Amino acid sequence: MEGRPADDSELIARAQRGDSAAYEEIVQRYQQIAFRTAYVITGSAADAEDAAQEGFVKAYRALDRFRAGAQLRPWLLRIIANEARNRLRSAGRRHRLELRLTEGFRPGDAAQSPEAVAVASDERRRLLAMVSTLSEEDRLVIASRYFLQLSGEETASALGIPEGTVKSRLSRALARLKTRVEEAASA
Amino acid sequence: MPDLEEQLTSLAATIDWPPTPDLRRALHLPTRGEVSGESRRRGRSLWQTRWALAAAAALLIVATLLVYTPTRDAIAGWLNLHTTFQRTQSPPPSPSPLPSGPLGQRLSLGTQTTLDGAQSQVAWKIKVPSSLGPPDEVYLKLPPSGPSGDEVTLVYAQRSDIPASSETGISVLVTEAQGRVNEQFFQKTLGPDVTIEPVSVGVHSGYWIAGKPHQFAFADANGNPFFDTLRLATNTLIFDDAGTIVRIEGDMTKDQALHIATSLG
Repeated sequence: MEGRPADDSELIARAQRGDSAAYEEIVQRYQQIAFRTAYVITGSAADAEDAAQEGFVKAYRALDRFRAGAQLRPWLLRIIANEARNRLRSAGRRHRLELRLTEGFRPGDAAQSPEAVAVASDERRRLLAMVSTLSEEDRLVIASRYFLQLSGEETASALGIPEGTVKSRLSRALARLKTRVEEAASA
Repeated sequence: MPDLEEQLTSLAATIDWPPTPDLRRALHLPTRGEVSGESRRRGRSLWQTRWALAAAAALLIVATLLVYTPTRDAIAGWLNLHTTFQRTQSPPPSPSPLPSGPLGQRLSLGTQTTLDGAQSQVAWKIKVPSSLGPPDEVYLKLPPSGPSGDEVTLVYAQRSDIPASSETGISVLVTEAQGRVNEQFFQKTLGPDVTIEPVSVGVHSGYWIAGKPHQFAFADANGNPFFDTLRLATNTLIFDDAGTIVRIEGDMTKDQALHIATSLG
């Protein structure tokens, strides 16, 4: 996970005193996860950029309400994800997410033969395609938990649901995905 | 086979995310305590600015085409508008013979394929109008020549009651792409020789464009402006079918176009 809580607390305290440089450091630290979270929700890079930027501004305005000792990242993600959902809703679009895989090697591939790498790459592509066939609810919880690697608390913040619901929703989504994988393997 | 959760976790390292913008640079922090509406207005202005720049560029190009004859051909070539602008200036005295080969090959519709072939390439469901039956030709256009989210065109040759173009041999073109209509913007890019009428296609909103429209612009799947040529430069029905923009072009009446649109499935 990004960031260190102690540093975040110090930056928050400075930002609350009006130190904009401290807040810019917070933005720099979390902009990638913020942008990607918004992208998972909106499916659009332009909307994700606008949502993340707007979310950071809103969070800056709300710094006085940030509870001392709380985790900064879930708090930021909640605001930015909410902004992303609002944008998707106001645009009247359905949720869609087209994730692609990078070409070439990934860590760990180097020790494998080119054939094994190609097979693994093909399997990853098939799995990603199967995730994209799931319902919006299932896609979002899987993308948040595994692709964005958010914690349970952060996933709950990003999706606007209780943490307990994240667990049950994830469990059901994985079961459905597993069924599809098994069906594809036996076809 | 590794555990499913392990496989999903390993996918994270190989996902090709869009590049993260430098939000810190673009961030103009308000003074604490300013009215809360300011950031919303600024967010909208970013979006409006993108479209405004595209609209300004489009209008400049159109104006240039109208005013400076010597450069018209060159500019039309850049925009793939050559055929349509020549037609509005001076129609040929007699129709040129149709080229041999596929009907859509001269229209830059993308790569010719089949319905199944196109469907296997795009993430959304391609809809076919049952009133026209199976298309005679199918084309698929992928980025960068096509919009993000891809574009599929169904070509119909002779169809009863809808005359085929003497220049293309095509009665109807049905084009489908992922995106959304930006009403103010697309109206500006259509040009002066058209009338635009809002229409309903089932539960969806759309526009009946009568006349000789040449160009249509919409926000593609990534939200970026995308300019597309209306190949037949004739009456066109455009509507947003829940995230899929459908265009039906042909020398037909509004009722005929709406009949085709409502038979999509």
